[in-house]
Amino acid sequence: MNRVLLARLIDLVFVLFGVSIIVFLMIRLIPGDAVAIMLGANTEITPERMAELNRRVGLDRPIVEQYLLWAGAALRGDFGTSLWTGRPVAGEILLHLWPTLELTFLALLVGAVLAVPVGCLMAQTRGGAADVAMRVTAIAGLTIPSFWLGIVLILLLASWAPGFASLGYVPFSEDPVGNLQRMTLPAIALALPILANLSRLVRSAMLDALGQDYVRTARAKGLAERKVVYKHALRNALIPFLTSVGIMTGYLLGGAIVVEQVFAIPGLGRLILGAIAERNYPLIQATILVVTAGFVMVNFLVDLLYIVVDPRVRA
Amino acid sequence: MVRSALRSALGAGFMVAAMASASAQVLEIGADASPTGLDPHLITAFPSFMVVNGNIYEGLTAIDKDLKTVPGLAESWTAAPDGKTYTFKLRANVKFHDGSDMNAEDVVASIKRVQSKDIASPLASRLAAVESANAVDPQTVELKLKEPSAALLSSLATIAIVPSAMEANKDALQKTPVGTGPFKFQEWQPNGFILLTKNDAYWEKGLPKLAGLKFNIVPESATRQVGLSNGQYALLPNIDAATALQLKGKPNVKLAETMDLAYTLIGMNVSKPPFDNAKVREAVNYAINRQEIVDAALFGAGVPGGPLSPALKTWALNVNQFACYKPDPAKAQALLKEADVATPVTVTLKVLPRQDVKDIAQVVQEQLNKAGFKVELINQEQGQFIQDWRNSNFDMFASINAGQPDPDEYFYRTFRTGGSTNVFKYSDTEIDGLLDQARSQQDQAARKAAYDKVQQKLACSGPVAHLTYGTLFSAMNSKLQGYDVMPNRSLLTLRNASY
Amino acid sequence: MQRLARNKLLTFAVVLVAIQVILALGAPLFAPYDPMAQSVARRLRAPTELNWFGTDQLGRDVLTRILYGYRTSLIACLLAVGVALFAGGALGLVAAYYRGWLDRIIMRIMDVLFAFPVMLLAIGIIAVLGPHTYSAAAAIAVVYTPIFARLLRGPALVLCESEYVAGARAIGASDARIIFLHILPNLASVVLVQTSLLLSAAILVEASLSFLGLGTQPPTPSLGLMLSEGRNFLMLSPWSAIFAGFAILFLSFGFNLLGDALRDTLDPRLRGQP
Repeated sequence: MNRVLLARLIDLVFVLFGVSIIVFLMIRLIPGDAVAIMLGANTEITPERMAELNRRVGLDRPIVEQYLLWAGAALRGDFGTSLWTGRPVAGEILLHLWPTLELTFLALLVGAVLAVPVGCLMAQTRGGAADVAMRVTAIAGLTIPSFWLGIVLILLLASWAPGFASLGYVPFSEDPVGNLQRMTLPAIALALPILANLSRLVRSAMLDALGQDYVRTARAKGLAERKVVYKHALRNALIPFLTSVGIMTGYLLGGAIVVEQVFAIPGLGRLILGAIAERNYPLIQATILVVTAGFVMVNFLVDLLYIVVDPRVRA
Repeated sequence: MVRSALRSALGAGFMVAAMASASAQVLEIGADASPTGLDPHLITAFPSFMVVNGNIYEGLTAIDKDLKTVPGLAESWTAAPDGKTYTFKLRANVKFHDGSDMNAEDVVASIKRVQSKDIASPLASRLAAVESANAVDPQTVELKLKEPSAALLSSLATIAIVPSAMEANKDALQKTPVGTGPFKFQEWQPNGFILLTKNDAYWEKGLPKLAGLKFNIVPESATRQVGLSNGQYALLPNIDAATALQLKGKPNVKLAETMDLAYTLIGMNVSKPPFDNAKVREAVNYAINRQEIVDAALFGAGVPGGPLSPALKTWALNVNQFACYKPDPAKAQALLKEADVATPVTVTLKVLPRQDVKDIAQVVQEQLNKAGFKVELINQEQGQFIQDWRNSNFDMFASINAGQPDPDEYFYRTFRTGGSTNVFKYSDTEIDGLLDQARSQQDQAARKAAYDKVQQKLACSGPVAHLTYGTLFSAMNSKLQGYDVMPNRSLLTLRNASY
Repeated sequence: MQRLARNKLLTFAVVLVAIQVILALGAPLFAPYDPMAQSVARRLRAPTELNWFGTDQLGRDVLTRILYGYRTSLIACLLAVGVALFAGGALGLVAAYYRGWLDRIIMRIMDVLFAFPVMLLAIGIIAVLGPHTYSAAAAIAVVYTPIFARLLRGPALVLCESEYVAGARAIGASDARIIFLHILPNLASVVLVQTSLLLSAAILVEASLSFLGLGTQPPTPSLGLMLSEGRNFLMLSPWSAIFAGFAILFLSFGFNLLGDALRDTLDPRLRGQP
């Protein structure tokens, strides 16, 4: 087991290194003069300003040195300062991190909690038209564009419950009720594909379990059907569930970028889109790096859990 | 246990909600974009301007809602007969938000800050005529000019007075502005909101009436609309016609409108073919159907526009006086033939990334393509667009510009040979002469006569095809009183508003 | 009985996808109007017999623009997934066939690319290339390459070990011949299923990017862009946004259903897996 762990750790370090190289090279691959483009968005371009910005971003040094300086600082949590507001980039990311984390967490929660009963229901109506209908519905849920769903939900809410203050964002610590009230719709818009995905997982795990010998035995012993199904099948569903949580974190981050835009939630998506609009490359770089590193870590943890849960992997 | 914790959390939530409604005079504003910074001498974009102008910062003079220049932080001024020396008497008892007194030193420092190469303020060109600024005594400032400048007083309204300590500081004001205005900066949650609170020490007694302004940043138009109709936001300032149309007649919502000072335009590069030929530029004007643009892209809420906004009633000529404003594709084709260029004239049109400009560009493309042109649209990012614009790297571009209250502020830097925003490389001795003459004149009638000629000439063969002036709307909760929409998109009348 | 239902589902999926692909590729034939033709007088109309899906903010026919939008989205996504399949497939096969250090290097690079969340890498690539349909397609291609590489490497490894390939090698077949004639055909079903599923996902990514203003630019008709432009006029005339939304849904749905049904039919062992 320790050897597996060590191998995974080496993989992790390598992947993080590779990610940092790609993110670092981004700014250098921009066609034309990146510094002039960055300046162009906000101020008048003068040679002095260009030279100053060149220094600030560090583009005047040899490339390897640039990378080492940049990566070294990043490892210490220093991503430089945002080009226009002068705030530390790390602080900006931290500030925008919580809304996104909360949104993705709520969406995952809504999706996972609902997936169990929905999946069980789907498994019980095995075969026939109802089964097909459910699968088709699940796929439709998987492919519905979340930004579209978000807008439709806002409009529906506006016509059904006009007084329901539901937009924007207030931190949970300031106003928990207001926070949850505002996060409900975006979480639902984001959760639907998760629900569709997870319920299919639960369904297939249930079907497998129902066909297993031990379930038949258990049933023959007279245990209540519901208890059998839940106990064995859900445990079986746990491993694929864990795997897909890792995959879905990536989906959730992507979805959150668009959903935040629709619901005016000040999260990482808004941060990076704003940074693109104002050509704030250091901020774009740092956001991509931090989020990707987070994503890699989540997958790493999922991997570890996987090893713990599934003894076969240990061998 | 869990349940009781939940209950107390819920209780706390209700308390916060109740407190919020008790101090409901903080005006909730739905803004479409986030400012990039709040330094009044560095910002260029509307989202920043809207927050700081007149609310946080003030200038020596101010522009009122009829675009007249009125006293601001200077309560009066005198000009020497040669027009080269101005003496400003400052208002007494004006304090900055940090509690310090505002005096002549601060005014001098602010002017120097804008002129400083190191700060590189985009406003520097507005003070180009100013040779020196001196504090005569703590309440008196004297400006010496290199040459007379008729637009000086109007320009000074845009030069915010900041504390003298900030003269060489490039970063601090971007994050935490310190001004003299009726509202002071409280909190900025990036991409969330900017909160300004009432300045209790404001020099004009009894103002402001609101407890504060909260600019909520809500990028989605549909979301802002829903927020206004459900009462979450009380004001959507400076919205376009399409949004206004959708909010019209909604319960608890009222609309206010004014003629916009900002104008949409097609810019042409006269330093290279085909637009180096005045006939081709004239053909563009004949090919464009401005009323159709107003109807199509502005939903009828606007007017075909000449070089000056109809909001500038004292200056603007009626567009019926311009022959080329009567759409005539056949005449356009004839002009192209006279110009002896190969048709269709293949050109690119670079488009500023804003929905209204994108819509207008699509209409213009269609119109020009019917009159002997072949136009390819190039949609660019903001930064790239501005860079190409600055470097004159375009055949044509479609954009929207903030207008200015005085013609000199717009014409001189845009159309004078070598002007700071003359990206078209336009150079015309007659125009140069007229602009120089109007600038040095104090006499209103003589200035008007000169600008009439300038408008006549620019309208059909200038480097800019001015397209439209839109109607500028603001949608607000019907309880909001005392706020007036301003043609220059300033929200400074919010100091008089109550809710 | 179940098998029959499954085949019916497959038939349904094939028909659904085929109809949309034909409509997309034949847009110039089927579309009732010119996608660029504007008409101020007929702006933001609700559906009528002249404009079945209504008109947009510039009076253009929504049905026409949706058909052309299908074309833009489909071509971009086919291109993107095609490139990813080709590049990823080649890398995966090479890695599996030659093993050793080449395998390790290729797969490590694939690991790195795979580490990025799709939308985030796409946004990064667009920040470099500028917003365009092809930037979006390039971004999608890069992101999906490691998926195909990983997908093909696993089964290819098994195949390379098999007696079947060993036999081919023994009779002196060349590497290329072995890869193309003996290994590839055996992987066709896996590839088919995955391509279909990734096309479905790519369509959503392309639409999201265009919706954010980072993909296709006006006046080119694109589904995500139509939704994005239409949403400014939702309360006046929701038609353009609604139909564009449904078009994205159907297109993505069709490919996803196809992939799902194909997997059921071609490889019953994988049935029901997401």
